[in-house]
Amino acid sequence: MLRTRTIILLNLLIVACTPARPVIDEQMMRIDGEMPADFSGSWERDYSRGDDVNQVLRDIYYYLSRTAADRAYTTRPGPVQPSSRDMQSITALARLAELITRPQVLTISQNDQEITVDRKDDFSLLCAFYDGVAKGTESGYGTEICGWDGDQLVSHLILPDGLQVTHRFTVSRDRQQLRVVTTVSSSSARVPFTLRRFYKKFERLPPDFNCIETLSMKRVCSTGEIEL
Amino acid sequence: MTGKIGLFPVFVMCCLLQQQVLGEVRDVAALNVSLTEFDPGVPDDRSLHRDLQIFPRIREVEAKFLPFVLRETLARSGEWGAVRVVTEPDPAAEVEISGSIIRSDGEHLEIRIRAVDATGREWVDRTFSSRLALAGEERAADTGSGQAGLYEEIAHSLREARGRLDDRALRRIIETSLLRYAFELAPSAFGEYLSDDGNGLFSIERLPARNDPMLDRIERIRLTEYVITDNVDAKFRELHEEIASTYALWREYRRKSIEYDRQNARRAEDTRSDAARGSYEAVKNLYDNYKWDRVTAQEQDRLAIAFNNEVGPVVDEMEARIAELEGWVDDKYAEWHRLLEELFDIETELNRGTATAP
Repeated sequence: MLRTRTIILLNLLIVACTPARPVIDEQMMRIDGEMPADFSGSWERDYSRGDDVNQVLRDIYYYLSRTAADRAYTTRPGPVQPSSRDMQSITALARLAELITRPQVLTISQNDQEITVDRKDDFSLLCAFYDGVAKGTESGYGTEICGWDGDQLVSHLILPDGLQVTHRFTVSRDRQQLRVVTTVSSSSARVPFTLRRFYKKFERLPPDFNCIETLSMKRVCSTGEIEL
Repeated sequence: MTGKIGLFPVFVMCCLLQQQVLGEVRDVAALNVSLTEFDPGVPDDRSLHRDLQIFPRIREVEAKFLPFVLRETLARSGEWGAVRVVTEPDPAAEVEISGSIIRSDGEHLEIRIRAVDATGREWVDRTFSSRLALAGEERAADTGSGQAGLYEEIAHSLREARGRLDDRALRRIIETSLLRYAFELAPSAFGEYLSDDGNGLFSIERLPARNDPMLDRIERIRLTEYVITDNVDAKFRELHEEIASTYALWREYRRKSIEYDRQNARRAEDTRSDAARGSYEAVKNLYDNYKWDRVTAQEQDRLAIAFNNEVGPVVDEMEARIAELEGWVDDKYAEWHRLLEELFDIETELNRGTATAP
């Protein structure tokens, strides 16, 4: 627990001290040849690992108290509570991060051009490469871009009012463990909120029926070959 | 001699067909129309497909499906000769219509139509568009394409273009069409009848004799080819009949999707200023706005796959059958071309022999 706490505090310090740089730069949006890692498969949440939202919030509270105290030290020495505005902002990010990372199962499909992360009750994250260059998804509500940081897949969502959501996917060497680090930040919060979630690979049972989706007959299933 | 024997089976088949002689009395306004499969209008840059909401496989189906709707509109009017959908451009057609799909999203349909007659005269070259009513709006009658008015407008433009030509000009189109076809098959025999101004405009230099045996053969071959073309056209009809209801469903889903997009926009607008900036409600609202937009787009992707699952086997079967028919025509065409050229040589030699005989 102490180790986790140290990591979070270090992260916060790094974020607070380093100048802002893009989460995904042009270099990350290019691949030369194959995708650097294979995430395909079904992944279920490993509840024995990962961050506890309340603990992360407490750590941030501690960090904000210290930085607030440092700032106020010249006029009023001693512990200082973070402002209620700071805490309201960070709590909002924490709740959103918790909501986004709630799905118990991730289904990831991957081919030479695309990676799709299907999540229950949420939109699917899509990372598409055309001729080796990542193509973002843009709409009036936000922009989604992705890229590779080494063998980590990074998905970055930029929303209005400075709200940003970043997922960083890392798969273990044996392809049995998946780590997803989700960071939510906002221009109205002094620090971002980061949650780590871990997943274990599982094999879905082969279906008893072959099924396909159709428009007029909805889902059509058969024990043998499907003939429409 | 070998050439004459080789031609025999072709001519037996042709003799069963109704003979149509150049200059025979026919309603010159009822020109035959060839409608080429539309250009699907899919950009080569695949990265643009999602942004433009283009589903390439569905566009390919539409490129086969929509010309048939226009064909039906023209045929139903009873003002034209044979109206056929073909897979490849037919420059020798009396009137050739080509089209390119510019937009087709369930609500809007935009097609660029170009019609040219056999003399190379351009009849129509413009974009036709129509918008279908959404929920709460009054809808026009739907004839399966969902955009009946658009096809009527194209038909009207074609009628107008034809109306600008007198009977003599229309007869010239028919004659030029046959001579262009004849030239393709037997350039040695028909090379002198037509001239091309270099800009795609053809004019007749002189007409072959009415009893020219070569022309008679050309007409018979053309009638044979029409039988195959009618078979290809019948395949387009089958495709239309088989997928019309699924296509209508697809368009309905696309319309709903557009309505969902508008609902998403309204929801985003309505909830924008409710919550304090930085509050959970505010950030969740921003996230939800994006989420619902993506969910709507991804649902469309899912429906496109469902459409392909259902329609794909029908289209594949149709394409295979048409490829067989066209393969047969291509083989025969090469054979006809060779035999006609040989015949022309033989007959020219004979005529020369007769002329120089003592």
